[in-house]
Amino acid sequence: MSSGDPKLPLFEDADATVAAIHQGDVDAVVVMRALEGPQVILLHGAEEPYRVLVERMSDGALTAGPGGVILYVNDRLCDLTGYPSRRLVGHDLASLFEGEPPKLVPEATVEASLLRNGEGPMPVAVWSRPISIAETTATLVRLTDLTVHRRAEQIAAAERFARSVLEQATEAVIVLAPDGRITHASWRAEQLARRPPIGCTFSEAFQLEARGTDDAGTLAHFSAESLDSMLATRPFHGVEVKLRGDDAKSAFLLSAGPLVDENKANVGSIVTLTDITERKRAEEQQTTLVAELNHRVKNILAIVQSIAAQTVRSSRSLESFADTFTGRLKALAIAHDILTQTRWIGIGLSELLAAVLAPYRSPEGARVTMSGPAIMLPARAVVPLSMVLHELTTNAAKYGALATRRGNVEITWHLRGGDDQLVELVWQEREGRKMKQASGGFGTKLIDHVISHDLDGSTKVEFDPAGVRWEIAFRLSIFAEARATASRSSTA
Amino acid sequence: MTGQHVSELEGYNLRLYVAGQTPKSIAAVSNLKKICEQHLSGRYEIEIIDLMKDPALAIRHQIVAIPTLIRQLPEPLKRIIGDLSNTEKVLVGLDIHPK
Repeated sequence: MSSGDPKLPLFEDADATVAAIHQGDVDAVVVMRALEGPQVILLHGAEEPYRVLVERMSDGALTAGPGGVILYVNDRLCDLTGYPSRRLVGHDLASLFEGEPPKLVPEATVEASLLRNGEGPMPVAVWSRPISIAETTATLVRLTDLTVHRRAEQIAAAERFARSVLEQATEAVIVLAPDGRITHASWRAEQLARRPPIGCTFSEAFQLEARGTDDAGTLAHFSAESLDSMLATRPFHGVEVKLRGDDAKSAFLLSAGPLVDENKANVGSIVTLTDITERKRAEEQQTTLVAELNHRVKNILAIVQSIAAQTVRSSRSLESFADTFTGRLKALAIAHDILTQTRWIGIGLSELLAAVLAPYRSPEGARVTMSGPAIMLPARAVVPLSMVLHELTTNAAKYGALATRRGNVEITWHLRGGDDQLVELVWQEREGRKMKQASGGFGTKLIDHVISHDLDGSTKVEFDPAGVRWEIAFRLSIFAEARATASRSSTA
Repeated sequence: MTGQHVSELEGYNLRLYVAGQTPKSIAAVSNLKKICEQHLSGRYEIEIIDLMKDPALAIRHQIVAIPTLIRQLPEPLKRIIGDLSNTEKVLVGLDIHPK
């Protein structure tokens, strides 16, 4: 060692330099080469391969001396941090990291955030190991960039998610390569396919038949080959199809759209089969309901119109018209209430009688008695029969048994079996006012008309001195026939 | 660098030339920091030059053997060759008088 002026030539120090090399105080020398300029020659050449390895490795590496001061950094760490080595060497190891410095554990890897010049921190894995260099204990530290690793994890997670979406989709999703071969198929698509779909063409895996007549026309233009080629190359929207051999007879919407990669290049197509069976069923049900409602409203209006016309003809005054007409409309309303409550299924005969006769069935006196087997009346019989019962009751209240205190009505019925299902009902009044046979106003006419026309039955009336007696018979079987005819006409 | 910015009048501006992490280089860095903290606390500035990365930097101070420590300030320029393990020699070489 010696002092020197920077302007003095090197040979001033030559002795000291030679002595130092001799004494082993140095382990590297600088030599001047004519072409390359100054070059460092390590006196312990065996280190060179390791140095090259460390300098070229893809991880950052550093050596920290006692107290954590950085003694050496490799080029990669300079790249990772964005700082030249002179800005790192001599600094504290902890200053490289954001927040709390990582707690280094020998031979273990911990995660940390590496600070970067002009950029956000980078996630790194930090591995370390103590080492003795000469008489000093140093720490070797390796820093691995986790950004790529994290991105790979994110991509893998996104891929898993996308796959699970495809797998769980209720639609059948099929991905076709440009040559028409299936490259991906969702779980639902695999279920619908006639054979394992991957590698097949669409028409090999799925045999379609057009469902609607229009769609049949569309699909009829295409052979299996043309369909495959069209699905793989052209957008194709919402054609209604069903699958040949599908036991469930499901309806599907067939659609296809192009599949493009990140450069917008066409790399195939996505074909979907959307199950619309439930939707179709709901649509059909709705159409039926609307038609049925329309039919019923028309029927009711016809009934109201007929009642009004007949009531006008048989009424002597506006007041009597109002009374009678209102009563008949109420009977119609009761019948409709019953039908609504029973959802147009129908009602038992005794329940219908109870509803119509409710105002005259006082708890103390059995003015109206009823007996007969349980009979389920179909919905179509409810309106006419309740109109008939209303007329019988009104007549009894105005002119017959229910117009007096002691009068009573006995209603009995029975069902004659066999195919006809004939209901025979007897309305017997007793101890009421005596009615004249010629009193047959609209009430009587209506009973006759409704029983014969609407219920295809017959009536017989006897004006007995004890009280009027109606015998009414009608067949339940005609409603079954009517239903069968109606359903035939609706499917036609 | 570690240490505080010091005025040129009273501070020590030191430059240590090393060659990557050869044992002598590492020892020199370690020893120099120890000595400076102990004897020049708050009055020194160290710059470590790795000639392995840029050998051309050897020209300025005509470095031949590594490690070499150069005292740039205060003037005159002084040079110490070796791993700086002999504290006595370093103190004498740098003209530092222990407080």
